Amino acid sequence: MQVEADVTVIGSGPAGLTAALYAHKSGAKNVLLLEREEELGGILKQCIHNGFGLEQFKKDYTGPEYAERLIEELEKTNVQYFLNTMVVSLSPNKTITAVNPEKGVFHIESKSVVLAMGCRERSRGSINIPGTRPAGVYTAGVAQRFVNIDGYLPGKEVVILGSGDIGLIMARRLTLEGAQVKGVYEIMDYPGGLKRNIVQCLNDFGIPLYLSHTVTEIRGKERVEGVVVSKVDQKMNPIGGSEQFIGCDTLLLSVGLIPENELSTEAGIELTPITKGPVTAETMETAVPGIFSCGNVSTVFDLVDYVAESGIIAGRNAAEFAAGDWKEERNSVEVTPGENVRMLFPQRYSFKDDLILFIRSAKPIEKPVNIELSPAGIRLKRLYARPNEMVRLKVPRDKLKDIAEPITVSITER
Amino acid sequence: MNVAKKHFTCVICPLGCEIDVELQGGNVVSMEGNKCQKGKEFVLQELEEPMRILTTTVPIKGAKWAMLPVRTDKAIPKRLLFKVIEQLADIELQAPIKMYDVILKNTAGTGANIVATRNMKRTATTRDVVQIDG
Repeated sequence: MQVEADVTVIGSGPAGLTAALYAHKSGAKNVLLLEREEELGGILKQCIHNGFGLEQFKKDYTGPEYAERLIEELEKTNVQYFLNTMVVSLSPNKTITAVNPEKGVFHIESKSVVLAMGCRERSRGSINIPGTRPAGVYTAGVAQRFVNIDGYLPGKEVVILGSGDIGLIMARRLTLEGAQVKGVYEIMDYPGGLKRNIVQCLNDFGIPLYLSHTVTEIRGKERVEGVVVSKVDQKMNPIGGSEQFIGCDTLLLSVGLIPENELSTEAGIELTPITKGPVTAETMETAVPGIFSCGNVSTVFDLVDYVAESGIIAGRNAAEFAAGDWKEERNSVEVTPGENVRMLFPQRYSFKDDLILFIRSAKPIEKPVNIELSPAGIRLKRLYARPNEMVRLKVPRDKLKDIAEPITVSITER
Repeated sequence: MNVAKKHFTCVICPLGCEIDVELQGGNVVSMEGNKCQKGKEFVLQELEEPMRILTTTVPIKGAKWAMLPVRTDKAIPKRLLFKVIEQLADIELQAPIKMYDVILKNTAGTGANIVATRNMKRTATTRDVVQIDG
């Protein structure tokens, strides 16, 4: 069986929901949204804490409220969605092969495609923690699902490795549910998550944060009985003699997220090693014409507002592409990281839209800095630059129209 | 008079302004680092009585999922967070529930209500089936 669509969006988290809505609002007649789970909303459904949509809606929503708001809006449109639908392949000419219980295996021919598959958590295997392999080692997001949706407490005495936002949120959540969180251990010498989460999730509950520490051994036969933590040096190598045993029954890992790009790779889409997402233009178009990407499949964003903003751009442009109005008037230029810049998104500028740049610094700089775009001569002043806090910088198209060479972004001390 | 210095990290938005305050006899004499008015309000509230939104879950029967997410409809004193959690421990809901349905009024005397943060339809769950069979 075969389905036809103007715009097909893969994934219905905040990025996919927004992209589908804006493809519809931008005039696409036949928009199709595919979701592998049994309801729309993606990870928002388990993120029961507040802080969503502050910039976008000027409201302090929880994840489920934010999702419901988008879903209610979507239900008023003729956007079609298929649940329990797993996309198994995507070809460079935009044929999607998917499978679900009603249709079996089927194909979708779509004029344009929006990738919104999000990201997944790095696990024990990706950081190679030595020791035994007992029950009780979970990623923070899995624990979040257990507690917030399935109603299981993963453990009573918890150590958290990594200070990413989900780890911090889970430290508070498990404490409220009666578990004892013994500490959050972070290998870097600065926290991974947002500062507000350090305050309201750790400090509020007296949970200690240990920087420059990591777990060097997991102990326990059937169940985790404890972990060995060690201090690390500046090269992040454990310092001999600093080992300390912490008794616990659960270890949560909040050690980073990786964009989920198996489908993108199969479609021949070029990825970047820094973001682990597609090389993307400001229009959210990938290197394959007509395939757009948005949200955490592109790069792991700090805030849902940023995810949604990329969804708006991807949805709008996918609709334009599907309508056959897509013209590249001139060659795009590269956007490249300069001094003190580790991550940049997007990586290409194609002179169609304003350039909304997301920048992560290579190291914490606790001094006033200039964030500069050369050769555009654009300068943004900031009081500091921190790798865990993305900087968003919007550059109007007018200011970039005369550029012919690559745009370099750098951060320098003032 | 002695000047006492205090430091706050604002939690109102993701910017997380670092705010330095000088106090004289309990009164704020200077404040630095807040990028907006909300930061000032946050600090004054922290000095008086720290307030937080509480989000948690309540068990629900007859729904697709075991837990319903809920929140306080306004910030409550931080010192009462666990008291509210205790109050909620005895509650078990029955689907269907609509988003913003009030689950518990005036929780722990705070004047805040506990409200649902999503719709939860009535569906047959594995749990129901087990009960019927048993």
